[in-house]
Amino acid sequence: MTPLFNFVTGLNRILFGIAAIAIFAVVPMLLYEVVARYAFNAPTVWAMEASTLLFGPHFMLAGPYLLHLRGHVAVDIVSERASPRTRQVLEIFGFLVIAVFAAVLGWVSWPLAVNAFQLGETSFSAWNPPIWWIKFIVPFAFLMLFAQALVEAAMALRTPPAAAAKEARP
Amino acid sequence: QEAVEWRMQALWDGGTTPFEFEKAFVARVAELTDGKFDIKLFSAGQLVPAAQAFDAVRSGAFQMMKTFDGYEAGKIPSFAFTSTIPFGFPNPDQYEAWFYELGGLDMAREAYAKAGLFYIAPTVYGEEPMHSTVKIESIADMAGKKGRFVGLASAVMGDLGVAVTPMATADVYSGLEKGLIDFADRGDLTANFEAGLGEVAKFIILPGVHQPTTATSYVANTAAYDALPASFKAALAVAAREISGSLRQRIIVQDTIVLDKYREQGVEIIQLDPADIAEARAKAVASWNKATKGDALATRIVESQTAFMQSLGLL
Amino acid sequence: MSSELVLLVMFSGLVSLLLTGLPLAFVLGSLALFFTVVLWGPSALTVTVLNLYDTMRSESLMAIPLYVMMASVLQRSGVIESLYKAMEIWSRRLPGGLAVGTVAICTIIAAMTGIVGAAVAAMGMLALPSMLKRGYQPELAIGTICAGGTLGILIPPSVITIVYAVTAQASIGQMFIAGVVPGLLLASLYIGYIVLRSALNPSIAPRPTDGDDITWAMRIGALKSLVLPMLIIVGVLGTIYMGIATPTEAAAVGVALAFVSAVIERRFNGELLTGVALDVVKVTTMILWITIGARAFVAIFTGTGGADFLLGFIQDLDTNRWVVLVVMLAILFFLGMFLDEIGIILLCVPVFLPVIDFLGFDRLWFGILFLVSAQMAYISPPFGYTLFYMKGVLPAGIGMGTVYRAIIPFMLLQALGILICAMFPELVLWLPRSMIQ
Ligand code: NA
Ligand code: NA
Repeated sequence: MTPLFNFVTGLNRILFGIAAIAIFAVVPMLLYEVVARYAFNAPTVWAMEASTLLFGPHFMLAGPYLLHLRGHVAVDIVSERASPRTRQVLEIFGFLVIAVFAAVLGWVSWPLAVNAFQLGETSFSAWNPPIWWIKFIVPFAFLMLFAQALVEAAMALRTPPAAAAKEARP
Repeated sequence: QEAVEWRMQALWDGGTTPFEFEKAFVARVAELTDGKFDIKLFSAGQLVPAAQAFDAVRSGAFQMMKTFDGYEAGKIPSFAFTSTIPFGFPNPDQYEAWFYELGGLDMAREAYAKAGLFYIAPTVYGEEPMHSTVKIESIADMAGKKGRFVGLASAVMGDLGVAVTPMATADVYSGLEKGLIDFADRGDLTANFEAGLGEVAKFIILPGVHQPTTATSYVANTAAYDALPASFKAALAVAAREISGSLRQRIIVQDTIVLDKYREQGVEIIQLDPADIAEARAKAVASWNKATKGDALATRIVESQTAFMQSLGLL
Repeated sequence: MSSELVLLVMFSGLVSLLLTGLPLAFVLGSLALFFTVVLWGPSALTVTVLNLYDTMRSESLMAIPLYVMMASVLQRSGVIESLYKAMEIWSRRLPGGLAVGTVAICTIIAAMTGIVGAAVAAMGMLALPSMLKRGYQPELAIGTICAGGTLGILIPPSVITIVYAVTAQASIGQMFIAGVVPGLLLASLYIGYIVLRSALNPSIAPRPTDGDDITWAMRIGALKSLVLPMLIIVGVLGTIYMGIATPTEAAAVGVALAFVSAVIERRFNGELLTGVALDVVKVTTMILWITIGARAFVAIFTGTGGADFLLGFIQDLDTNRWVVLVVMLAILFFLGMFLDEIGIILLCVPVFLPVIDFLGFDRLWFGILFLVSAQMAYISPPFGYTLFYMKGVLPAGIGMGTVYRAIIPFMLLQALGILICAMFPELVLWLPRSMIQ
């Protein structure tokens, strides 16, 4: 199973990296917009909208790997004081809840994406770019979150509680 | 008759005049059905963002919405013309006549049927104004100015030489105040007054040619609608037609009152020359045709509307 | 199920699930899904996805990664470190000088940014390590940043103020201007408190032991480190107030200027870029996934009758109008402990404003009281979002308990702020009335 786990985590790490790099593109686009509008009185119709088209995928695609990094904030007052065994149970429970959450939303968002594709959805702004593709980001991100949550649950199950306790204290 | 309970999300924020008329709508439906048809009303954005209500009703999350068809024009081109036509019908009665007398209602229903939705009826009313920080006295004056417009209006105004600047509704006030834009469309006269546009833009340009008349619509989930007894369906149609007239008349009165308030703030009201508008309308036809994206139904709608405009002497 | 019961079950579910250590984003999201299926029907599950589309394309939320990027570049390039050094030289005679300076910087950041999450996370990255390194009591440092970071709600520009004004049909311009004096009042209260406490108990904010030999020449020399930050602040504020850029675009200008500073400081390199990219993606993703969960939670709360229950509750209160006002603010505060402010505004404002009109209170004035209580909600234990943003940047060894303790005195100061604004409405109303006829 380990190669599969590594594949999921590795793929999510790549998505996380792409998301992290892509957001930098927003800066020159918005700067260009400011200069074009202020200095040349010629605002673009695309800069702000293109930026938001990067923004959504940025945080959606980075979500699954942030789970691996334990970067989604949580209340740790109970787990800090719990026994290693209890902590392991709580952790696995948590990852399973996340897996269910991701599975449900992935399942619900898929038909919306397919429909947007079939209708060739565009944003209907002055620029009017196709936006159906962004709706596929959502089920894809939830699929990857689902996979990562299962991997994390399996890893937590595999790690003996004592070792987990050591890991949790850097 | 068994009782039916629906949820409906309106297009308006709570406390606004149009929202009061949505309350009147659900009350009227209840009255016409002896209280058996109970529609629970939610204000804009309470359940989903207004522009996302379409998919929520399609999936059956709630059974009904009051919507602006133009939100989904990026999916279904016909909706650009069932919601508002830039440089289109100058008089709401003409637009409503197209719906009820010239097959507009059926074409709107055809457009929605593909999505599994049932178009009940429109609520038709007049213009939305343009607010400007610079004096604009003709369509030609608009060329080269930075204007905030959305949807089909952004394409049409762009074709007329306006430097169209996309901007969220919430940013219009500060955009005008800071000079990011020279003139803007936002909401109706009253809503814009309450949003303080009179403080930052000292000119109002009427008629709002980018949105001379407006149709919002009552739309239901088809399966939910089909399950209704005939008398409940009739109650929806009757109440919708009543609200269309009564809201429009309220707005006519409100506009006169609020225009006086604008004048008290020192805002100058500029009326565009009808001949100037007619000339621009003739040019706008090309933009309309482009916006059909070659879609058969959208093309039929535009042809039917332009034929009516020709017989009215507008084109 | 009755509305009271729905309310009770939803909030007890929220608390117990949070205590299991499940991340907040997934607590809110999974509860929303659960209650959607149970109380509303599986077909309503799309509501969460549709709200998510809206979040993904939000122009104002897009300011978050940009403001985080700006802060991260400034911190990693050493600009902020120098700023703190300058601030220390100048405020060394002042008890709690660094915390006072932090509030001052928070006030300036508040005038640049419209988003609380970004301000708090950014200041957490900038000011916290600096204060801890100098031996400040963690509670004082954290409380200062949390409270100072939320000043952005009142001090314009503010996304929350815009949402409030739009929902309440109030003038955004008047609301903005009305927030200035109360915002500065709160900042002064924080500063007064910090000075007083540090004077009474110098151990919580140690003054540098060295430095009796600091000359005026050194003080003037330290001002050099103010140049770059001031250029950035002027660049951001200036582009907003001179009408060159929207707040989101101004954030991009700020990022560019921060990169220029990094080049000038000779710290612009691959290591800096990698670090910045990681900061941005981590903080932004964390905040936005909470937003996903919160919006789903609020939608289901409203859709299943929670809002109706609140309205009925207020209308049934038949008592003195000030009591009703206090009850309304208490409800806002209570909801604020669990929900996000935009959701609360959408939920409560349409319900409360008719009551405010009925009682004869001024809408603008109530709006400001609303926004100050929103600030309290943002930092209120156990789940005020600011605390979570804060926790995202806490160093190892400082837990949530410290954050909770840190925040109490500042919440009391905010309550005092509400009281002052309630007793002296002119503080709120004078500026907008004198600026706009
Ligand atoms: Na602010
Ligand atoms: Na909160």
